[in-house]
Amino acid sequence: MRLTRRTRLAGVAMIAAASLTLAACGGGSDSEGGSGGGSGDNVITVYGTNPQNPLIPTATNEVGGGDPLNNLFSGLTAYNSDGSTVNEVAESIEPNDDKTLWTVKLKPWKFTDGTDVTAESFVKAWNYGANAANKQLNNYFFYPIEGTDDNGNTLDDATEISGLKVIDPTSFTIKLKKPESDFPLRLGYSAYFPVPDAAYDSSGKITKAYGERPIGNGPYQLTKSGWERNKQIAMEPNPDYTGSHKPENKGLVFKFYAGGGTDAAYTDVQSNNLDVLDQVPPSALKTFEKDSKINAFNEAGSNFSSFTIPERLKHFSGEEGQLRRAAISMAINRKLITEKIFNNTRTPATDFTSPVLDGWTKDVPGNEVLQYNADEAKKKWAEADAISKWDGSFQLAFNNDGAGNKEFADAVTNQISTVLGIDSSPKPYPTFDELRKEVTDRTIKTAFRTGWQADYPSMLNYLGPIYATKAGSNDGDYSNKQFDNLISEASSAEGDARYDLISQAQTLLLTDLPAVPLWYQNATAATSKDLKGFEFNWQQKPDYYKLTK
Amino acid sequence: MWWYVGKRLLQTIPVFLGATLILFILLKLRPGDPILNLAGNKPVSQEVRDALAAQYHLDDPLFVQWLQFAKNAITLNFGETFAGQPVFDLIKQTFPVTVVLAVMALAIDAILGITLGTIAGLRRNGWFDSSALVVSLLLLSVPIFVVGFVMQLVFGVKLGWVEPTVGPDWNIGKLLLPAIVLAIANFAYTIRLTRTSVAENLTADHVRTARAKGLSNGLVVRRHVLRNSLVPVVTYIGINLGSLMAGAIITETIFNIPGIGNAAYTAIQKGETSTVVAIVTFMVLVYVLMSLLVDLIYAVLDPRIRYV
Repeated sequence: MRLTRRTRLAGVAMIAAASLTLAACGGGSDSEGGSGGGSGDNVITVYGTNPQNPLIPTATNEVGGGDPLNNLFSGLTAYNSDGSTVNEVAESIEPNDDKTLWTVKLKPWKFTDGTDVTAESFVKAWNYGANAANKQLNNYFFYPIEGTDDNGNTLDDATEISGLKVIDPTSFTIKLKKPESDFPLRLGYSAYFPVPDAAYDSSGKITKAYGERPIGNGPYQLTKSGWERNKQIAMEPNPDYTGSHKPENKGLVFKFYAGGGTDAAYTDVQSNNLDVLDQVPPSALKTFEKDSKINAFNEAGSNFSSFTIPERLKHFSGEEGQLRRAAISMAINRKLITEKIFNNTRTPATDFTSPVLDGWTKDVPGNEVLQYNADEAKKKWAEADAISKWDGSFQLAFNNDGAGNKEFADAVTNQISTVLGIDSSPKPYPTFDELRKEVTDRTIKTAFRTGWQADYPSMLNYLGPIYATKAGSNDGDYSNKQFDNLISEASSAEGDARYDLISQAQTLLLTDLPAVPLWYQNATAATSKDLKGFEFNWQQKPDYYKLTK
Repeated sequence: MWWYVGKRLLQTIPVFLGATLILFILLKLRPGDPILNLAGNKPVSQEVRDALAAQYHLDDPLFVQWLQFAKNAITLNFGETFAGQPVFDLIKQTFPVTVVLAVMALAIDAILGITLGTIAGLRRNGWFDSSALVVSLLLLSVPIFVVGFVMQLVFGVKLGWVEPTVGPDWNIGKLLLPAIVLAIANFAYTIRLTRTSVAENLTADHVRTARAKGLSNGLVVRRHVLRNSLVPVVTYIGINLGSLMAGAIITETIFNIPGIGNAAYTAIQKGETSTVVAIVTFMVLVYVLMSLLVDLIYAVLDPRIRYV
């Protein structure tokens, strides 16, 4: 064939098209093969998202990496489904008389690379996490230990936490800044997991390779394929595991959903391509409990939602502020919102903690301020007006990238403006970090959405870190000496006396309302029909080791 | 003609520089602090905040960040995501599935759209033309996520004909349903475009001449009407490949396809500047190459167009 101008052109076009197609094929073969999700073999597939940080206990602070880590590692203590703890790697954790010095003795225990879990494995990992130079996002968790600042970083850029002392290979001591009788409750959290020697390079840094493929000491270990980026994390039971969470299944696969799409995951549960989805998408909330293709779970959970009105806002300080906060709180019909907007997947709050915790009661004195009462609200608002006349508008800031936030902010401000007859509107921020930046830098000029996800199952964890003077998460800069004292007394008390003190502290909060409690978020889940053993723990997660099918 | 291709390829350099600079400025204008997003609702000390900002070059002046990026990009080094994966690997991993999806959608779009459009154009104002008009109007007016969810529910969940989601182990079969969903909105447009173009060309001078020469009707339609009518259609379809890839994110999310749209979306949410810029730059280059390809195809279709 004669090569005409036109056929040459077609040739160029073909080459260009072919190179695009080739590029496609070349990459495509990478993602073939490997163990898919799928059923059979008693391997449980679980909803997950690609971890945002390396898989290092002190570096991982989000669920995408946190859920896998909790199965790959064992801490000194482990959490039972009911929120109580048992000693896991620890043989014993004993306090001194004033509960500031804790002595930990270890059981014989091994990492999956065959090396021993020693006192050094814990202390070195914690020192690493607390040292700001290592940029670990979980450093905050070390703040109760002596030798750290309020953010949990070591003092004066030290490389070690001065409150930790290794006695011998199987025991060490932890010195706390303040007495704390429930300290062992903290120690099951992922930030306190041990790390083996193999993780560190010669300069003492945890290596990149370790963050990709961690060696743990928990109920599970990574399979050969392990963490496949943007695809899944696969794990199998650790044959040498001797702790209390012995896997009853043959392994877990955390299947990642692109962009975190829970809608696609829900569809997969319906068609039996996925076994566990631990958060039901907003689109299915109305119907999931009646869906015959899945098993549905819906229980009060450990996440607490509120909004904070900082003391520094005009009209919200002193006695006037107290009256106005109470008026606003009583203007909100929590029951109506949880029913109509959240389809009963939230439970109206009656205190500042969570009903899943030991010692929780729905009868905290003073909590009638959390009940809808339009008349009383108007009265209090008028009393506040007598002190100083209200002007301006009441705005509530929220981040628009979280499901349901807009709806609740609309409803709350609408109720406030109807009941109190003032101008009130929601103020959207596009993303969570844009809102947090203004909150953290204290430049925000409105009320804002707040909430708490517990670090360990104790009511004190819902109070001290948020409302104590100068506490790390005290976004509203609340300060009340009496409250501080009650919390520190409760920290060293035990049994009923302790719950009494906590109740008193909460009553103070109900008067001052540094944050206005809204509701407890329910834990919701959808599982495939043939999955057994699903039960929520205090972290609103299933006990993965109990799942079978 | 090669000279023309070379010239066009050289043009990609300023396009690359301009696009990245605009992206850097846009991302800088985005308020908020990505490090606080990383930290979640737990407090983080200023030291750690600063150290992390330095690690991801978030503290450098904008222009320095941009120069650094452009310099590294020459060696295909686009930096790392917050999770420590090289951005280039992320693109390599997520791009293929998106390309295959877009090409499949495009093929469905082109084959159905051009065939039906031509028939409608030849039998203008007949019953086929009218029903095609109504159907395409319907398809154009239903948002893509509605079509996606409905088709997923009906064919995936209720009937069980296809897998409802794709997942990381994708193959052509699994991508068929999402590709159809993606094609639907465009295909309606292709029908209408082809129809109008064919109808117009039927009355053109060269077609009248061809008929006068005594060519058979089939030959006239194939050689003289259809070929010339395809110029606007090819433009539309070609440019669409780019928007199909960038715009596939809705379809990708509904069907859990780990493609580049989702990778970009996640990165924007987290404020990972280097990842966003790298991915979007990549898309820009695809656009540029596609429009070059389209221009070259013009000359094949219409002998009156030539490049010197």
